[in-house]
Amino acid sequence: MDIFIFEAAGHYIGIEAKYIYRIADNVNIVPVPLMPGCYEGLIYYRGDLFDVIDMGRFMEEEPSTPHDDPYIILLKWNAEMVGLIPDRIVGIKWVEDNGGTGAVFNERGDTVELMTPGGIWKKLAGLAHGT
Amino acid sequence: MSRTSIRNKLILSFLVLLLLLMMVIAVINRLTDDYYTAQAISVALALAAGALFGGYFSRSIVRRLNSLSAVAREISRGDLSKDIPLLSQDEIRDLEEVFAAMVEDLREMILDIKNVASKMEETNRTLSSLSEKVLASSKEIDESAMAIAEGSEHQTMIVQKTSLIINNCLDQMDAAGRQSAKTVLKINNALVKTGTGETKARQTLGYLDNVLRQIVENTKPIYRLSNKVEKIRMVMHVMDEVAQKTELLSLNASIEATRAGEMGKGFALVANEIRSMAENSKQSSHEIRQIVDDIFQDNKVVIQTLRKSEEDVGKGRGIIGSMVGTFREMVSGVKEISSEVKAVEKVTLKQVKEIRGLLSHFEALSRLAQQNFVSTQKTTVGTRSQKEGMKKIVELMQSLNVLSERMKASHRRFRLRGD
Repeated sequence: MDIFIFEAAGHYIGIEAKYIYRIADNVNIVPVPLMPGCYEGLIYYRGDLFDVIDMGRFMEEEPSTPHDDPYIILLKWNAEMVGLIPDRIVGIKWVEDNGGTGAVFNERGDTVELMTPGGIWKKLAGLAHGT
Repeated sequence: MSRTSIRNKLILSFLVLLLLLMMVIAVINRLTDDYYTAQAISVALALAAGALFGGYFSRSIVRRLNSLSAVAREISRGDLSKDIPLLSQDEIRDLEEVFAAMVEDLREMILDIKNVASKMEETNRTLSSLSEKVLASSKEIDESAMAIAEGSEHQTMIVQKTSLIINNCLDQMDAAGRQSAKTVLKINNALVKTGTGETKARQTLGYLDNVLRQIVENTKPIYRLSNKVEKIRMVMHVMDEVAQKTELLSLNASIEATRAGEMGKGFALVANEIRSMAENSKQSSHEIRQIVDDIFQDNKVVIQTLRKSEEDVGKGRGIIGSMVGTFREMVSGVKEISSEVKAVEKVTLKQVKEIRGLLSHFEALSRLAQQNFVSTQKTTVGTRSQKEGMKKIVELMQSLNVLSERMKASHRRFRLRGD
């Protein structure tokens, strides 16, 4: 299956390519109060509102490297919309569907953690709210 | 009254007596007839008259002689108060007058002796007082002469020591004068060198001005390079943006191709290639940016260095300008020092000359002090001999005192009128 792979906080994260809507940049992020620390805010992209999550902080709960002009990976599934800010985009790779994480995707033998947009959203909902 | 001599008196008296006898005899002869009786009576009368006359005459002479004798006896006892009686007009009167004159002379002589004794006594007292004063003065002169002699000796020693010190001072001042001459020579050399230094500093200032102008000229291309590098950075930024957009576009193309399934696989391949190219472009752009940044930083460092060099050259120019000023001040200062040292040398030479004159005066003073010493020694000897002379004078005065006492004693033996 085709996996969209990106890097965040030293982790290679893969999301099935069918959930990827668009890669955006130069988008104004509007902060939202009382949200978890990894929640960056909301963006308005071509008529839709996307929740934007910093994946570095999402993975390690530590501030990730600052992004001057970050790419935002826009996901859409079941009328849900979320944007992920990676540290670096690897690209779309085809990997064997073995039903779990740990698939090797490059010559160096790096493995990818597979995530679903629902899983990301669920984990986000379980995080402590900020101030 | 005319004088009558005793002989004439005798003759006159005898003739009167003879006349009287002849008249008596003539009377007797008339009265008496007897010749012999008349003769006897006449002889007797003549003898009696002769005896009476002789007795009277001799008694009057003896009485006057006795009177003179009595006065002479009183005179011999020292009583000169009695006057000599001048009773007759004969030769005894001469004797009386001579005697009276002698007594008068004796009185005057005694008075003179008295006066002389008094004067001698007074003179002796005065001389005694004077001799005491002279002795005291001699003692003082002696002491003063001794003190002067000691002072002269001390003065001679001080003068000799002072002469020695002045000689040393003269030597040192001579050395100072020689040193001043050397200093003037060195100052002249320093003046020449300072003038040379000033000239060289001016030349260096000119060179520095040229260097500064050259640096300014040389930095212009570097400033232009900086502007060009900045433009390159702007171009690189645009290229970055293009590469980023290309990458974004290729990513989205890949996503769309994936979404297209089997039909989009070829397009996905192209999108991947475009993304790879974009990434390469981005990488190259990044490397170029780094190189440009390095150039920019190096250029910045060069510009900073050049600015610092300009500042340093400006500071150096200022320093050399102040050095020129300092050299100028040094030249004027050295000239002043030279003139002052020359003045000091002149003054030193004048002082040496004056001190030499002073030294000659000191030598004269030393000689005078030695002469003073000799003179005071002579004075001491003189005062000692004077003291000896005064002692002799005192002895003589004592002898005179004895003599005056004796004269007084002699005078006391006589009694004058009014005593």
